[in-house]
Amino acid sequence: MSAIGRILLVEDDPNDVELTLTALEEYHLANEVVITRDGAEALDYLYRRGAHADRSNGSPAVLLLDLKLPKVDGLEVLQEIKNDEKLRLIPVVVLTSSREERDMVASYRLGVNAYVVKPVDFHEFVNAIRELGIFWAIINEPPPGSIKRPGAD
Amino acid sequence: MDQANLDGKRAAHSRQPELPKPLFSIRRYGLSVLGVSLALGLALLLEQFHFRDVEVPLLLFAVAMASWYGGLGAAVVAWALSCVGFDYFFVEPIHSFAIAPRELPYFFVFALFAALVTWFSTVRRRVERELRQARDDLEKRGVELAASNKELEAFAYSVSHDLRAPLRHMAGFSELLQKNSAKVLDDKSKRYVGVILESARKMGALIDDLLAFSRIGRAETDKAAVSLAQIAEEALAEVRRDIGDRKIVWKVDKLPAAYGDRAMLRLALVNLISNAVKFTRTRTPAEIQVGQAPATDDQIVVFVRDNGVGFDMKYVGKLFGVFQRLHSTESFEGTGIGLATVQRIAHRHGGRAWGEGVVDQGATFYLSISKSRQS
Repeated sequence: MSAIGRILLVEDDPNDVELTLTALEEYHLANEVVITRDGAEALDYLYRRGAHADRSNGSPAVLLLDLKLPKVDGLEVLQEIKNDEKLRLIPVVVLTSSREERDMVASYRLGVNAYVVKPVDFHEFVNAIRELGIFWAIINEPPPGSIKRPGAD
Repeated sequence: MDQANLDGKRAAHSRQPELPKPLFSIRRYGLSVLGVSLALGLALLLEQFHFRDVEVPLLLFAVAMASWYGGLGAAVVAWALSCVGFDYFFVEPIHSFAIAPRELPYFFVFALFAALVTWFSTVRRRVERELRQARDDLEKRGVELAASNKELEAFAYSVSHDLRAPLRHMAGFSELLQKNSAKVLDDKSKRYVGVILESARKMGALIDDLLAFSRIGRAETDKAAVSLAQIAEEALAEVRRDIGDRKIVWKVDKLPAAYGDRAMLRLALVNLISNAVKFTRTRTPAEIQVGQAPATDDQIVVFVRDNGVGFDMKYVGKLFGVFQRLHSTESFEGTGIGLATVQRIAHRHGGRAWGEGVVDQGATFYLSISKSRQS
């Protein structure tokens, strides 16, 4: 298997975190997932400050971003990332329950790389997460400076 | 908005001088007296300069002004005063309240004319006040409507966000339970888990349909000249994808051009056609016709007719309600929102939707839309 990129999951709901990890586990992608529980923590991780001040250098290969988050919401996180000269290279995928057009339009306007509505049906959900994981963590070549773990063959 | 602010707005809206009642009355009657006196004074002054017969228009003007600004009471006072003044100063014998017999017609014509002016002015004033009142009411209702629309939007938004997540968890963890604990679950428990899953799926569909329905009410219509024939073709293609190997005899008439929102009209036709497909399931062959009924002066009417299970006209009023169903979910699936959506789309196009049916002999559903580009 080729190298696996790090996935930063920004999700406040523990049930959603568990379901997402379960879906990623089936394809052995779960080890490279970092979980942050709100927008503020996600930004701390990206800027290596606060609780994440000591983490090793490098950006995630992709950021899976929920929109409805405590403290700093998803759109604000997205805006901050896309306005930052260095962070804007990180691919951001909005992963949300909202099918509302205004969320979608706002996200694309801010420069999101993909917008995925979490399907209610579990099989579809697993498929969506798996395909996202495979594409962004394995197939896609992330920008220079991203963390990638060499995969075991 | 706080109360003080609201009150201030209301006061500004009523546009009436906020005087205590007695003071207001004095001002009204004072206006009559003043107006008539001024008119008389001016007429007498002009008479000094040998201007003749200016008193009639001046007095009429004073009466009109008094009844316009003072209302009925002030109008009557002004009328009486001007009659008396006219009699005293301008009707022979001058400077007396007596009226010479030959001057009587002249005086009565004046009195009648002044009364007429008063009456017109008062009526006009009342109409204007009613109109203003109606406009203020309308303005207020508009503001309320905008607020409630906004609330509805916020509601739909939070439904979209917050109701889906717990559903996904119900479905997800039931699925995991089914998969990971298949060995320890007996048949009954497996069935229970199945019911949970199915219910979660159904509720997801209900929420999606309800949101789509509310979106049609909220969204701006994007109207343009469209070809109903082309829209019907697209709708048919979409429905046909899901009919499998069923035998359906299609009859599609020539449809006219129309003015409307393409996506909405397409959704309406998809709903009507897929309904026809659904309720002809027990027929072989099923016959479905998409056609145009005779148009009226300002409406285009299209219909979808089938030879399916039909319905009892007794329940026709229930057909277009949200989540109203005439058949059990076991015999015909669906959330019961399709026709409500069609009705709403028709309303947004200045038309309506209605149905005709006979039990076991098929149904016809009509959709009318306005030809006008205004509605």
